[in-house]
Amino acid sequence: MLSNVRTSIIRQVDYLTSGTQLHFIRTKRKKAGSDKSEVRKLVTQLSVLSANRKQPKLLKFSNEDYVKHQVIQKSWNLYVRDKKAEEANILQKQYESIRAANEDLQSVSKELFSFANTREPSKRFPLELRVPTEYPPNQIWHHDYTPKVEKKK
Amino acid sequence: MLGYRSFSTSSVSLKVGCAMVKPVHHRVKVIKKLLSPRFPELKLSPTDPRSPKFRPEITHQDRVQEHIHNTLRSDLMLINYIHGEKPAEGLKRRQWDFTSPYHINRPARPPKGEKVPTPTIMPQSWKNVPGIEKVVVHSFVANCTSDPKLNIGVSLQLQQITGVKPQSVYAKTNLPSFGLRKGVKMGAKVELTGRDASQFLSTLTELVLPRITTFEGISNRAGSRYGTVSFGLKPEDVLYFPEIYYNQDAWAKRFGMDITIHTTAQLDREARQLLSGLGLPFVGTEREPKLTR
Repeated sequence: MLSNVRTSIIRQVDYLTSGTQLHFIRTKRKKAGSDKSEVRKLVTQLSVLSANRKQPKLLKFSNEDYVKHQVIQKSWNLYVRDKKAEEANILQKQYESIRAANEDLQSVSKELFSFANTREPSKRFPLELRVPTEYPPNQIWHHDYTPKVEKKK
Repeated sequence: MLGYRSFSTSSVSLKVGCAMVKPVHHRVKVIKKLLSPRFPELKLSPTDPRSPKFRPEITHQDRVQEHIHNTLRSDLMLINYIHGEKPAEGLKRRQWDFTSPYHINRPARPPKGEKVPTPTIMPQSWKNVPGIEKVVVHSFVANCTSDPKLNIGVSLQLQQITGVKPQSVYAKTNLPSFGLRKGVKMGAKVELTGRDASQFLSTLTELVLPRITTFEGISNRAGSRYGTVSFGLKPEDVLYFPEIYYNQDAWAKRFGMDITIHTTAQLDREARQLLSGLGLPFVGTEREPKLTR
C-alpha cells in the first residue's frame, strides 16, 4: 500500500572529457514498513467500524427477572397505546369543533369564513420556539436583539 | 455480472466483482429449536432479551417526538384545515380505450406530463397530521475513485455523528469523464429512525446549524414535492458536530453530507411547517404545487 522503496537519486554529471556519466547517490535506507502511521490509522478506523464490537453480550436473566421484564414491557406497551388513543381523541375533538365553528361562521358571515379559510402556504412556527428541555439555559433567547444597521457612506 | 440479480442475494447488485459479504462470526448462539416453525409458542418476540433481535431502545426520553406530539400536531392540523375541502386527485396512469385488439396486455400510458403517478392529496383531518418518518444522511465522495481509502473515513464520520452503522453507497452509472465506474464504492449513508433520528435532528438544530455563519436557512424550494425535505452540509460545516469539534486532530479530512428528512406530510409545505416547529429555518420563495382541486 505504501512505498517502502529506498530512494536513490540519479545524478547526471557532465564531464567535459568523458561525456555524460550516471552517478548514484544512496540516501538513508527506509526500513521495510517503517512508515505505518497511515495504515495504523486506517486499521484503527476499521476496528471502530467493525461489527464485532457492536455485538453486546447476551443479558443473563434469572427466571424472576424475565417475568419482571415481561411485565414492564407489557405495561409500557399499554401505556403507549393509551397515550396514542388519548392524543387521537383530543385531535378528533379539536377537528370536530373547528368544523362546527366553520359551519357556524359560514352561515353568519361569508366574508369572515373565506378569510378564515384562505391557505397560508408559508406559515411557519416562530424560530424562537424551542424543543423543551429539563435544563433550559438562563437566557432562552436574546429578546432585546436588534440587528446592526450598516452606516451609509 | 453487473446489473443482474446475484445468485446469492435478492437485490440487484451494483457492486464490482463477486458478491462477497465479510464474515461476521456468530457471537450469538442460535437456538435452533426456537427457530423451528413446528413450535410457534417457543418463538421469542423481539422485545424478549433472550432474542438476538432484542435492542434496548427505550433508554431515554425522546424530546423531539414529545414536542411534536404535545405542541406541534394540533397546530399543524388547524393550520392546514380548509372547510369543505375535497381530495385533490393525483395524476394516474392512463388506460387504453381498448378500441384496438392490440390494447389488450399493453401497459398503461404514464400520466400526463409525469413519468410516475402522483399521489392523491387528501384534505387535512385528525388522522393525517404530519410527523417525522426517518432521516437519511448520505455522503457521496467524488474523490473515492482515486482514493478508495476515503470510504473508511466517510463511514466512520457518519457512524460517529449518528451512532448508527452506515451502509456503503455504490456508483450507479458509468461516467468516464469523472472517472466514475459503475459499482465502485463512493461513500456511505445512514438511515435514522426513532430516537436516533430525534437525536440527530436536535443536535443539528441546537448545536450545528446555529454555529454555521454562512447558513441562512433551508431553501423553500428544496424537496420532493410530496413531503420530503433535503439540504446539504459542506465539509467545513460538519466540523460543528460535537463528536468532531472536540476531536479535531483525528478528523483532518472531513466530508460533506446530504440530509434528507422524510415526513408523513402529503406535501412539502406541510413538511416545512412541521420542521419549522423543530427549529429549522426556511428561506426563499415558496413554490405552490399545481393540484386539481
